[in-house]
Amino acid sequence: MNVIEVENVWWTYKGREEPVLKNVNLRVEKGEFLGIMGPSSVGKTTLCLTFTGIIPQRVPGLFKGNVRVLGLDVKEIDVTELTRRVGVVFEDPESQFIMSTVEDELVIGLEPLNLSREEIRDRILWALDLVGLDKSFLNRSPLQLSGGEKQRVAIAAMLAKEPEILVLDEPTSDLDPLGKEEVLNVIKRIRDELDITIVVVEHESEILAELADRLVLLYDGKVVLEGSPKEFFSEVPKLISIGVYPPQITQLFYQLGRNSPPITLSEALKYEVLKLKKAVMEARPIKGVGDIIVECRNVSFSYEEDKFALKNVNLKIRLGEYIGLVGPNGSGKTTLAKIIAGLLKPSKGIVYINGKRIEEYDKLTLSSLVGYVFQNPDHQLFNQTVWDEVAFGLKLRGLSGDELESRVRRTLEIVGLQELAEEHPFFLSKGEKRRLALASILALEPKVLIVDEPTTGQDRGFSYRILSLLNDMRNRGITVIVITHSIPQLVKYADRLIVLKNGVVLADGNPREILADGSLVEEAKLTVPQVSVFMQKLGVSPIPLTVEEALNILE
Amino acid sequence: MPKTFFRDFIGLEVKETKYQKLHVFSKILIPLSLSFSILFVKDVFSALILVFTSLFLCKIAGIPLGFIKKYLVIIISLTSFISLSFMLFTSMPGNVVFFEYTLVEIRAEKGVAEWKITISDASLNATMVFVSRIFAMVLSAVLLLGSVSDRELIWGLRSIGVPYGACLSIALFFKGLQLFVSDFYTVRDAMVIRGVDLDRMSLASKFKLYVNALIPLLTLLITRSYEISLALESRGISPSSKVPTRYHVPEFRLCDFAAIALSLAIAMFFYFCPSLWG
Repeated sequence: MNVIEVENVWWTYKGREEPVLKNVNLRVEKGEFLGIMGPSSVGKTTLCLTFTGIIPQRVPGLFKGNVRVLGLDVKEIDVTELTRRVGVVFEDPESQFIMSTVEDELVIGLEPLNLSREEIRDRILWALDLVGLDKSFLNRSPLQLSGGEKQRVAIAAMLAKEPEILVLDEPTSDLDPLGKEEVLNVIKRIRDELDITIVVVEHESEILAELADRLVLLYDGKVVLEGSPKEFFSEVPKLISIGVYPPQITQLFYQLGRNSPPITLSEALKYEVLKLKKAVMEARPIKGVGDIIVECRNVSFSYEEDKFALKNVNLKIRLGEYIGLVGPNGSGKTTLAKIIAGLLKPSKGIVYINGKRIEEYDKLTLSSLVGYVFQNPDHQLFNQTVWDEVAFGLKLRGLSGDELESRVRRTLEIVGLQELAEEHPFFLSKGEKRRLALASILALEPKVLIVDEPTTGQDRGFSYRILSLLNDMRNRGITVIVITHSIPQLVKYADRLIVLKNGVVLADGNPREILADGSLVEEAKLTVPQVSVFMQKLGVSPIPLTVEEALNILE
Repeated sequence: MPKTFFRDFIGLEVKETKYQKLHVFSKILIPLSLSFSILFVKDVFSALILVFTSLFLCKIAGIPLGFIKKYLVIIISLTSFISLSFMLFTSMPGNVVFFEYTLVEIRAEKGVAEWKITISDASLNATMVFVSRIFAMVLSAVLLLGSVSDRELIWGLRSIGVPYGACLSIALFFKGLQLFVSDFYTVRDAMVIRGVDLDRMSLASKFKLYVNALIPLLTLLITRSYEISLALESRGISPSSKVPTRYHVPEFRLCDFAAIALSLAIAMFFYFCPSLWG
């Protein structure tokens, strides 16, 4: 029996000419676990909103076609009625919270259901237990929870309504690896223990390969591929060409010419014995590393008395390095980066930039040496045009005329935004905004470029493009420091990882060595590339970090 | 530790006291009666009683008043401005004049126009009353913000029959306020990282820059409003939602009746006190 039926659906947001959904057809069976994949901005969230009737009833736009959910026509059914039977959890848990305690967050969705107070209480405790949270969370503020806990509260708020369909829209994309693991365990538990239909939108193919019964690929507003995970991921070239990356293990076996490549690690390990062409991985040459540009000596920082966000950090960073600053949320990564950028003053210790104490620089000079790109580009864009945005910092430094013009033009060319110079930043796409935020800092030609979580919430294609762009910056001699959880993408370029946990540097060195250290990986909850895990299980040491590296040593 | 607006906005921890356990209605009524009493206070003696009553109530509410030290500069500047305004712009000769100096004197056919600095018992008295009233007003606000949380306010308002939609709007207002403040600081940091030195800037440049900051702040406001409204709709919550059940029913106890009586007594006392000591 189909619980969701989408027939010839077209949807255009009001004020836009191009439809987001173009003749979408889809069916979801009762009890099925459906995965929806596709690059960013292809209509995945829009499609999910049609399952609740929010589109077409509440969002202005032009709708054509039919969507029936649980036998009800979404054009006619009361949205409130339908949302009681269909739960939707969005990507950013914080934007879903309204109340100041976990208990109230669940209560607010249950009070309209005409339940008794006792029933509400029972459902709250049941839902929290299902997502692995206990009574002690009831009075805590949702905003003070970890990323994984926040998302679990958001899921619990939906489950408490006992919906028949649960839609999870990129539930793990804003989370660190620990949070991701927590949420995935919850999704597995829901799948195994409840009689519920689950629809998950996700960029991480490794997750869906393990969980989903069926996958669909949405691209350019249409369903362009559909099938079981095995069938779906065997279309390696097609998927990669549109920016959806199959599991690394599938890519590896596909490249080795195997038919019906495995899609999970456990399947790959059973698959066959691979022969090694070379016994040892060749070390990746470290590119042009120069003089020390940043030095931290015994740096500590506390936001509150006696609660240290950083403890005795000692680091030397050289020109031309590409560094990944990694570790769980709350480990001190952003604090350390902000100290290096001069946005925070260390409580103890000294920071040297280019051989001089950081406090000896005025703000203008320091910002010419160290650039910082914020996680959310919306925070960083405050001018009327793309051109003005890039020119802002240069004008502050007294540049004008031809010199200003050529610097702005050159920077816009580097990030590929020259065609949009006169556009208002507000009207750019999310990816373009990120590139503009980067350009506004690059124009200042800093020696150190710190980029805070550039890949969070982005599809893999975009993540690779932005990391590759940063690699180009490194090739121009700039030191690049990337704060990220996307280690599998980062290690394609980074030659050094600094691992932080609880404000302490746990490890600092070559990614290959760090990611091969099982206890360190477990302690810092680092995501090791799937292909590295596979090769390590085959006994390969040092481990390859990318599919390309693995192919080099396999026959 | 009780949850309060102070804890949410400035991280101030308030002690768990009996006052904190009162019904939200009582906790709103007491500071309200203090604020109301300010209108009746006309002399130094009653103004000082009002300040000490407010201080006492803050104390029994478990609010550590030490945090006011941080705002001492603002309080002192405000007091100085008030004092100066009574001395420079208001001529109050009173019964005793301690100091008098004529700044400007214009003699014309129709008389003499003077601008004098006069420090008299009347100007000092007026300053003291005014400063005490402001201080009492600040303390009553401290009492409210240090004893009530957004959660209590919402459930409390619902318990006295305020519509669900209005309570939801209040919850969203507080959430929006917190996000707006945090966004503002991030946008300011983003400006600093491009080389903006706010300490060395002229007021006009600073103003222009803050106007620019409205672009990202409004962008974020629009994006967030859309995300929040989607999240609310997807949970079946809308301002017009019918909500038959009230999960939180704050209990109205004997001490709350005592608190209401105290509030009324405070207002009555300050209404009648000028006649008590003339």
